[in-house]
Amino acid sequence: MSLRDKLLRHRKNYRLIFGGFGVLLLLFTAMYYMAVRGRDLPAALVTNRVLMFVLWDVNVILILGVVFVLLRNLIKLLVERRQKVLGSAFKFKLVVTYVGMSLIPVLLLFAIASELLQGSIDRWFNTPVAPALERGNAVAQALYDQIEKTNVRDAAQVLQEIRGLDLRDPHQRPRLNRRMTELLESQHLDLLAVYEGRELVNAMVDTQTGIRDLPEPDRSFLEEAAKKGQATAAAGASGTKGSLLLAAVASSTGTELPPVPTTEEERAKVRPPVIVIVGTLLDPVLAAQREQLVQDFQAYRQLEVQKDELKASHMLLFVMVTLVILLASSWTGLYLARRVTVPILALAEGTRIISSGDLSHRVDVPADDELGVLVDSFNRMTQELATNKGALELSNRELTTSNERLASERALIAAILQNVAAGVVSIDSEGKIFTCNGAALVMLRQREDEVVGRAVADAWGDRERSKLAAVLTESGSNKEVHLTLGGEWKTFDVKVTALRDAEDALQGQVLVIEDLTELIKAQQLAAWNEAARRIAHEIKNPLTPIRLAAERLQRKSRLGDPGLTAAIEEGVDIIVREVVTLQGMVDEFSRYARMPRPRPAPVDLDRLVTETLHLYRNLKPGVDVGSVVDPTLATVWIDGEQVKRALINLLDNAVEATEAPGRVTVLARPVDGHLEIQVTDTGRGISPDAKEKLFLPYYSTKGRGTGLGLAIVHRIVTDHQGSIRVEDNAPQGTVFTVELPMG
Amino acid sequence: MRAKLALLGFFFFVSQALADAKISEIKVTLDGERVLASFALQDAFDHRLSERVDSGLPTSILYRIELDRDRKRWWDQKLQDVTLEVVAMYDAVARSYTVHYKLNDKLIESRTLRDRQALQEAMTVIDRLPVFEVASLPRQGRALLKIQAETGSRTLLSIIPVSIKTDWKESPKFRAPQTP
Repeated sequence: MSLRDKLLRHRKNYRLIFGGFGVLLLLFTAMYYMAVRGRDLPAALVTNRVLMFVLWDVNVILILGVVFVLLRNLIKLLVERRQKVLGSAFKFKLVVTYVGMSLIPVLLLFAIASELLQGSIDRWFNTPVAPALERGNAVAQALYDQIEKTNVRDAAQVLQEIRGLDLRDPHQRPRLNRRMTELLESQHLDLLAVYEGRELVNAMVDTQTGIRDLPEPDRSFLEEAAKKGQATAAAGASGTKGSLLLAAVASSTGTELPPVPTTEEERAKVRPPVIVIVGTLLDPVLAAQREQLVQDFQAYRQLEVQKDELKASHMLLFVMVTLVILLASSWTGLYLARRVTVPILALAEGTRIISSGDLSHRVDVPADDELGVLVDSFNRMTQELATNKGALELSNRELTTSNERLASERALIAAILQNVAAGVVSIDSEGKIFTCNGAALVMLRQREDEVVGRAVADAWGDRERSKLAAVLTESGSNKEVHLTLGGEWKTFDVKVTALRDAEDALQGQVLVIEDLTELIKAQQLAAWNEAARRIAHEIKNPLTPIRLAAERLQRKSRLGDPGLTAAIEEGVDIIVREVVTLQGMVDEFSRYARMPRPRPAPVDLDRLVTETLHLYRNLKPGVDVGSVVDPTLATVWIDGEQVKRALINLLDNAVEATEAPGRVTVLARPVDGHLEIQVTDTGRGISPDAKEKLFLPYYSTKGRGTGLGLAIVHRIVTDHQGSIRVEDNAPQGTVFTVELPMG
Repeated sequence: MRAKLALLGFFFFVSQALADAKISEIKVTLDGERVLASFALQDAFDHRLSERVDSGLPTSILYRIELDRDRKRWWDQKLQDVTLEVVAMYDAVARSYTVHYKLNDKLIESRTLRDRQALQEAMTVIDRLPVFEVASLPRQGRALLKIQAETGSRTLLSIIPVSIKTDWKESPKFRAPQTP
């Protein structure tokens, strides 16, 4: 049977329980009534054997009931404890406490009360009532004995007086009457009767006593007198309220009285003894007092004789009440213990089931007190647990899926990072290198354990690699870094990107490193190819006129042409001019090749720009040349000559590309700790293809010149650890932006 | 084990306490159609019984008389049983004893006695009491009478009522008269 069924059954039993209590109340009321009435009941009724056996049987049934209730529950509890049923220990303690709390006081009360009861009954019979009653009874009996003794003596005297008379002779009857009258008067007798056997011969009473009828003596009275010679008895006296004390004396002893003869022949055959009966009338008051005294004494003796039975009946009644209380209290204790334990056991079982993972379990026991609140709270808690667990499981599934996706993506990214040509290094917020892909390790010629997990300053602490560490201070920058690693000159393009969270807090940095060494080599090779081609082209251009002039001179000389002299002069001029062109070209190459390393010094930038622009003012009509220099830029650390040369090259191109009306502007300002110089024109602009090759040596879109102008500008800027970029100007023209470090 | 010994001791004590009185030899007489029983109850009139009689309470001695068929090596078969209740009551005012004899709760005789000795004799000496019909005797085999006397009750441990009984006394075995 489930706990719920048990509870429901108990709830259904409420009516029975209240009915039981009602019956108990009636029972106790009846017992109390009986106890009160018992004081007035005669002892014979109270000590009746049937009553005692009934009480005893009821007690036995009650004892069996108590023992059954206690043993049954005790055995159940012990079995549950042995089987280690959840909550059995708690239930055992609770039941023992409840039953103990009901049993111990009742048993103590019973022990004390029963002792008091027995003591009280014993004390009833220890009072001086018994001797007083006994003495009173003895006095009354002695008075009777004295009267009886006198009566016996008088009867014997009467018998002696009439011994000579023949009682059957009618002639002697008058004499008998006279004699009996004399004796009645002389002896102060109240009654005198003479019997022959059972047959009355003559009788007379004192008329002053008021006795109307002669009392009929008991048959046994006459028989005893005949047998023993004398006998005494008491009898009522008609017409009076007193009683007669009779004494009979027989003329012989040891005889059996024959029946009264019915014929003369029978009468003649037997001669029964003569019996004289003398009676004394007791005073009615005295007789009543004596009778009451004797009855009281008898009543007392009856009580004393039945003392044990009286105690037993009272004790049995008391035991019965005690057992009823015990049964009720034990059962109530067990019931209350069950009422408490069942919901608690249900909660404990529910806890066990829920701890095993079944969150769908609900404690479904009816309870309407604090335990009910506890059960409701438990069920609500379980409901919330189930809901939260569901949400958690859903979240967990999503998280697992997300993690798997992330892991997959991470693996993909890791694979990508491992396989990309660029080196990628991630650095956490504490400045430790978090990841470093294979390309980066190859580029930097390091092992993973030398880098990953280490601080940047530790991993890149040497003189060369510390340049990378220096780049980290410039987030967002894109720098070329030259390192000598393993004896090789390496050029890296390093891009630093700061990682920031939603609150714009720095979470780390990512370095993307590109090895430009080979690219630069290729570019240089291509540049030299281009340079060779252009040099060849440039050299070829002057050589053709020189060759043509020389061939003309040779031809005229062979022919002896008279215009030889003029031709020589013209030819020499051509040759000299072209040689000068070649010489200028060579000088340019030499200058480009011999360009010295920049030597920074404090330079007034505003003045430098103004002096440079001065060369181009009014150079081209309709083209306005101007400058804007930030006033904060008073002095900057640059190589003034080289920067001025770069500026001239840029202005040459700008002015040349700008048609009137147009404008060329030089803007100098500090940006993010750098010096930014922009040369903006409103000219024809530069095509995208040209932009890619613009800074290569010997590249020119003009179809003339050496093509070294922008290459020299690029060289100067990179030698200053700066950068240069070209962009379209809106709405028209081109913008060259030079960024140089300040100081 | 101790509990068992204590229980045995208790029953021994009770049996000894109740074993004072005993039924004397039983004499069975077949008188025509009646079976007459004569027996006496010895040592029954102790202090307790005397005090009870003198107190005026009705005091009875109950005799249970069984007619059994004798069976060898087996329990005897009870054929009939009767009860004889002898009730004595003392009238302290008249100083006489009245004794009633009830056979199966039917009054068969009453006597008035004036001395204690006669009372004791009247209550404990039963002479030629017609108890069964001869026709009730088994035609075959032997019969016997079993008599037990209950002289009252007492209490043990103040609450346990116990009847005071004698042991069952068996009469000599006898046979029913053979009819032609």
